[in-house]
Amino acid sequence: MTELLVKNACVIDPLRGINAEMMDIAIRDGKIVEEVSDAAEVIDARGMLTMPGGVDSHTHICGTKVNFGRYMSPEDMRAGRTPRRGPLHATSGYSVPTTYGNSYRYSVMGYTTLLEGAMAPLEARHTHEEFIYTPLQDTMANTLFDGNWAIMEAIRDGDIKRVAAIIAWTLRAVKGFAVKLTNPGGTEAWQWGKNVSCIRDPVPYFEVTPAEIIRSIVEANELLGLPHSVHLHANNLGTPGNYTCTLGSLGLIPDLNEKRQTLYATHVQFHAYGGSGWKDFCSKSEPIARFVSMRPQIVMDMGQVMFGRTTTMTADGPMEFNLYRLHHEKWSNHDVELETGSGIIPVIYRRKNLVNSIMWAIGLELALLTKSPWQCLLTTDNPNGAPFVKYPEIVALLMSKKYRDAEFATIHPDTEARVPLPAIEREMDWYEIAVMTRAGQAKALGLQDLGKGHLAPGADADVAIYPLHIDEVDPSAEYQKVIDAFSRTEYTIKRGRVVARRGECLVDGSNATFWVRPKVSENYDMGKDPDFIEKFDRYYTVRMRNYPVQEEYLNRNRCIETEARI
Amino acid sequence: MIVKDAVCPFCGCLCDDIEVEVEDDRVVAVANACELGMTKFMGERRMKNPILRDGDRWKDITYDEAIRYAADALLSAERPLLYGWSGTHGEAQCVGVHMAELIHGVIDNTSSVCHGPSILAIQEVGHPGCTLGVVKNRADLVIYWGSNPIDAHPRHLSRYTRYAEGFFLENAFRDRKVIVVDIRKTETANIADEFVQIKPGGDYAVLSALRAIVQGKTDTIPRTVAGVTREQLIRVANLCKAAKFGAVYFGLGLTMTQGKYKNIRNAIELVSELSRHTKFTISAMRGHYNVYGSNEVNTWMTGYPFGIDYSRGIAFYNPGETTAVDILARKACDAALVVGSDPAAHFPRKCLEHLADIPVVQLDPYPNATTAFCNVQIPVAVTGVDAEGTAYRMDGVPIRTRKVLSTDYPSDREVLARMYALMQEALER
Amino acid sequence: MTFLMITGRTVNQGVTVENKTSAEYAAETSTCFMHEFDMLELGLDDGDTVRVTGPCGEVVMRASASVEVEMGTVFVPYGPYANHIVAAGTRSTGMPDFKSHEVEIEPTDEEPKTVHGLMEDLGGLAYDR
Repeated sequence: MTELLVKNACVIDPLRGINAEMMDIAIRDGKIVEEVSDAAEVIDARGMLTMPGGVDSHTHICGTKVNFGRYMSPEDMRAGRTPRRGPLHATSGYSVPTTYGNSYRYSVMGYTTLLEGAMAPLEARHTHEEFIYTPLQDTMANTLFDGNWAIMEAIRDGDIKRVAAIIAWTLRAVKGFAVKLTNPGGTEAWQWGKNVSCIRDPVPYFEVTPAEIIRSIVEANELLGLPHSVHLHANNLGTPGNYTCTLGSLGLIPDLNEKRQTLYATHVQFHAYGGSGWKDFCSKSEPIARFVSMRPQIVMDMGQVMFGRTTTMTADGPMEFNLYRLHHEKWSNHDVELETGSGIIPVIYRRKNLVNSIMWAIGLELALLTKSPWQCLLTTDNPNGAPFVKYPEIVALLMSKKYRDAEFATIHPDTEARVPLPAIEREMDWYEIAVMTRAGQAKALGLQDLGKGHLAPGADADVAIYPLHIDEVDPSAEYQKVIDAFSRTEYTIKRGRVVARRGECLVDGSNATFWVRPKVSENYDMGKDPDFIEKFDRYYTVRMRNYPVQEEYLNRNRCIETEARI
Repeated sequence: MIVKDAVCPFCGCLCDDIEVEVEDDRVVAVANACELGMTKFMGERRMKNPILRDGDRWKDITYDEAIRYAADALLSAERPLLYGWSGTHGEAQCVGVHMAELIHGVIDNTSSVCHGPSILAIQEVGHPGCTLGVVKNRADLVIYWGSNPIDAHPRHLSRYTRYAEGFFLENAFRDRKVIVVDIRKTETANIADEFVQIKPGGDYAVLSALRAIVQGKTDTIPRTVAGVTREQLIRVANLCKAAKFGAVYFGLGLTMTQGKYKNIRNAIELVSELSRHTKFTISAMRGHYNVYGSNEVNTWMTGYPFGIDYSRGIAFYNPGETTAVDILARKACDAALVVGSDPAAHFPRKCLEHLADIPVVQLDPYPNATTAFCNVQIPVAVTGVDAEGTAYRMDGVPIRTRKVLSTDYPSDREVLARMYALMQEALER
Repeated sequence: MTFLMITGRTVNQGVTVENKTSAEYAAETSTCFMHEFDMLELGLDDGDTVRVTGPCGEVVMRASASVEVEMGTVFVPYGPYANHIVAAGTRSTGMPDFKSHEVEIEPTDEEPKTVHGLMEDLGGLAYDR
């Protein structure tokens, strides 16, 4: 039995409505408890800002396309290398760090839970292998269904229950956590070199539209009772004028769930563009933010772009190809049979580039213009917008108009005419930042009942203590202090153990992966469905018996069983 | 007893539909596998126990003694080389990386003498590819360039290309065209719809010519390029542009000839160019069943796919300097651990001369060419037969190999883990 | 006579690759596949032995006529015999010139060595004979 007592913590815990209260946090055997004995180890937080451990609801850290990004970019590897030290392994990489690199850097920033943004079911084993080597955070995977043949056929036949059954079988098989749609329909069209132009454009051969895919899968997701909602990377990412497509997609979503949103729209910055081409490219963050603010069934995340070099990687194959045509950089593509695809290309976001400057502004605008911080969470779609090590700068930008103005003065001079950012006075406060970096994520992912994102007794003892006294720092003026504090915790505690201290990771780590197992009735068990089985073995190149991710890949794991309504 | 859906641990096809009949702890029959796979499953003449070279004799020793010897030899070396890895499961490869990191060694895998150049090309221009099932279901044009699957990947044609059925192809055999490009008329060339014969060393020029034609610059092409006529070049370029889905598979014919990684770079750029007109992909015909796995493991753990030198403490990658052939030829290592490969059979003679001078430990179920240069050889279980673990297919799809029978042999992972533990203990003292 | 030596995989080499100390492996990997006109020029019958000299040494192989091989080139299955004469230079790529070595070939009376013999020539000690 190990006990830890964190004394004198200035706690912000939005899921419990706690806003800067001085309190002690009692921890026993990795969980928060009411109190501990006198034998407990004591950490004196001396009034420092203390929050639940950070939760990243959309980051690309583990799996086939991430690893593709790594091995095609040795120059990225050279940009950040550390040697082995004590229990810590050597690390490499800047925008696509090695798994240990990711884990240690996230831990130093106070993050203890990560959701991998995209996992192709056929290659899930790879993601799980890399999860094991990302040891200081609990992990879970968004599972891709955007180009799934069996599902598109079921949608064409109008059989939502079958759609749910296929999702259930697949999530159980590949130990996935949530349902992800990336450019729905587009990834299948891309396997013929085509794309879909918006939500009413039918997918070649299967003849279902992205709108039908989104609506059916959203319904199916709720039938399965999954903790997270459908997670959508909308069609037309990156295209000037795409905001109408985004509004159209968001407008499809009914309110089907009391506890959380019915749709999580990811990296919306990339989907909030006005204009008809690059020449009149402009920000449409206002209509998007207004739209979302009026609809509690939608939660989004920023997808903030920050200037500098990074690597883009998504399941959106055709979009990455378009970037290749634009930038002529080295381009990789990886289509996955019967399921989805991916593309990778390095990019540089430049201040001198008007389009990049507008993109930078849009991400911030979405956060500042959305009334509730619970509805717009902080991400960069790591590494697509920027590497996650830039999160502290984003926090500072959201909290300080002065910082925004200072940065704005360094970007393309014509930006002002295209974006509303300079006129926005709002400055987020500590509480709102806590929502946007952990509480909001935990709620959106359905993790708060699993003990993440808050510090109520019974929760996982994942705590981040930042070297900052909020009554001594004015975030509006002293934004550099904000950046410094959020870059390096005083303590990061994971499962009751101090895992990082002042920029150093201390232990090897032993994480858990979260996955779902929806329970369906016999009739809807695809494992016994003759049509499903026959098509599987005929068109996949892996046998159905060899497809599921075996227990050996799970390590410690938290399996969430749900009662499906099929 | 018949084990179904067994995974063949031979080539990069990683066929997982094998049926293995086991009786009395022996494999007695194999169905669905090609000759290469069948021989792998039915291999019999395993080494019985670890051996130690004592002057000009071989002694039998215990696993404990062998593992201890290995840990000592590698730990006392200043710059040990840990080589091979493509013939074992991923879980063992991971231990290998940790070990190299701990003892400041160089870890390299068989890519460096196989598709390493392909990786170098990918690092310059990227890799527009796909999984094998995408090709099976869609491709109406398949090009084998410098690759002879009938000999090296026998079931590639029946599982994924020429003879495979495809969801979008009514009559796959009739609707798919196969082009073979090679310097000699191989068996695979015999079943092609179009055979393009190139003079040795001419691949780069032919690829450039095709790129020029695709870009509309046909008038720049001379009458022949590296032995290929202008007419044939135009015909091939047109077949490519007219295809609904083209897939290029290339082999050592590109990686090993003059130009090496530049050949592949040119091929990738041709495919990226064709992607502007229609759908085209390119992939490497990986040789060993888990060589891609060693690239994947090395990459997520160190940042680099092969040739990683930890002697500075950080991961350092410089092909030509940190790759095994170069390290051995320059005598730049003073001990070697060989796992799941046979460098003495596949490396140039100068490398073997150095192997003869340094302590060498090998993990391998069978006596092989490298055995002659070992100080110690430790027989291990065969992945896919009496050991299980992850392997990555040539297209990156990970499949877990099955154990079809049990023996007393430890797996690579077990032996390496014990070695690693001894090393950690020694370093703590 | 000068030839371009290409090395590569064959089924027979692959089938014996787990049994490198066997006679079959030695036979397959010490075979020098040649065009029959080249063999005629050198006065070779199918199965005659030849001395193959490369940049770093020489090795005895057995010639075999093949319709797949072009005049002026020879094909040797991937293995220790070919590698006995392949130079270790990789031109900074890690990959030796496995498919672009120029070799001299002439008839010989010697027999090809065993794999064991090759290894022992370089300082090794054969295990199972």
